[in-house]
Amino acid sequence: MAATTTTSAVYINVIEDVINKVREEFLQSGVDEGVLSQLQALWEHKMMECGAICGPIERSSLPKQPGPGGSAITPVHDLNVPYEGPEEYETPTADMLFPPTPLQTPIQTPLPGTSEHSMYHLPTPSDYPTPQDSGGVPEVKPGRPSPYMDFFVVPSGKRKREDFPPQVPGSGYIPQQDGAGDATYDVFQSELAHKEIIGPLPHLYIWLYPYQGVASEDYNTVNTPAGHELHAGTPAVVAPIEAGDDDDDEPPLNENDDDDLDDVEGEEPNTQHLVLAQFDKVTRTKSRWKCTLKDGIMHINSKDILFTKQNFLGHRRSPERTHSILPTDEAEAREVNALWFMFLIAGLGIRGWMVVHTRRAFLGHT
Amino acid sequence: MATFELYRRSTIGMCLTETLDEMVSNGTLSPEIAIQVLVQFDKSMTEALENQVKSKVSVKGHLHTYRFCDNVWTFILQDAVFKNEECQETVGRVKIVACDSKLLTQ
Repeated sequence: MAATTTTSAVYINVIEDVINKVREEFLQSGVDEGVLSQLQALWEHKMMECGAICGPIERSSLPKQPGPGGSAITPVHDLNVPYEGPEEYETPTADMLFPPTPLQTPIQTPLPGTSEHSMYHLPTPSDYPTPQDSGGVPEVKPGRPSPYMDFFVVPSGKRKREDFPPQVPGSGYIPQQDGAGDATYDVFQSELAHKEIIGPLPHLYIWLYPYQGVASEDYNTVNTPAGHELHAGTPAVVAPIEAGDDDDDEPPLNENDDDDLDDVEGEEPNTQHLVLAQFDKVTRTKSRWKCTLKDGIMHINSKDILFTKQNFLGHRRSPERTHSILPTDEAEAREVNALWFMFLIAGLGIRGWMVVHTRRAFLGHT
Repeated sequence: MATFELYRRSTIGMCLTETLDEMVSNGTLSPEIAIQVLVQFDKSMTEALENQVKSKVSVKGHLHTYRFCDNVWTFILQDAVFKNEECQETVGRVKIVACDSKLLTQ
């Protein structure tokens, strides 16, 4: 399982909270509520696909459950009754895609031809990316009868866009894919791209705290453009820094400061392991860093872990002690080389001593 | 209420962003309302972490890179060991991005 149960529960709560709180804005903007449940379904589906939440999702208030008794959608329909199918056009929620109840009792594979699910049968039956590879969707068992799978797993990752037909409310409005619609989309795209660019600034090293050689440093002076709302991803313009006023002993940064590791991996090594958090305190004592973080999300070894408090200790390797970061065998090799060199010097010395003494002895004799 | 956009880079945030992106390109959602959803996510995620999460983690590792820019600390740790009540994880390289918690309380 890629997500711990607590993480999964918190994620589900967050999704629900977001959906509930934007509902009013949706209604105010005249957006159909079906769009909201479509958003929720897609979001949950993606979360399940990447294993961040483990279904089935139990909700306190299920949005719209067809059928009496509040049980999950029943896959069997009585075909003798004229079909008034709100379900067919209903936005699929993740519960419908991955129903919780019938999992323990998988239905028998129906005989061909008499299948009651044939009305739901899709032309592309086996086009389902198996999410159990990620281990995150435990309810999709490999041994499940295939018609069952075809029915429930309609919007797979490959054809998600086509599978959710745009919501057509009563007014008959059909969203326009070309023309004016593109313009608004472009705005959104560039907005996102903009955020991407100004988020992390890889090469902008700013030494707000010039190195003073003191034993300990505290990095917790609030240095904030206060007053207005601040967003982490959209940082305010950095105030001009008095570079050069300080008579620092340290030379300014130059290309010699670059780490060879950085050169290899581009401007910033791409790490899949990521911790996103808020910091309370960052202190440094010589090469020893101590940080107190809180309210964070970690993505470590493809697991999502949430935490309320995190202490981290980091040791900065000083460049003088480069030998310590050599792999052991390389360090050993150097030592061996040094040993040989000493022998060489010693050998030369002995020879020189012998040469001198033999000459002396020779001269002494004559 | 001030919010951080930081958590949008998490799994749940990325999934939401992808979803909104698809729905906006479908024409199902307007970009404005999609951004409102993201802002609400920032709030909800921050609240959830404050109120619903209790676990504590400690990390030790070699600090490869540190950076403090625009009130955001970025650290890259090598050979980091994460420990919490349940488990211990070791990673060769981890990136830590942290915003100033004081900004939220201001």
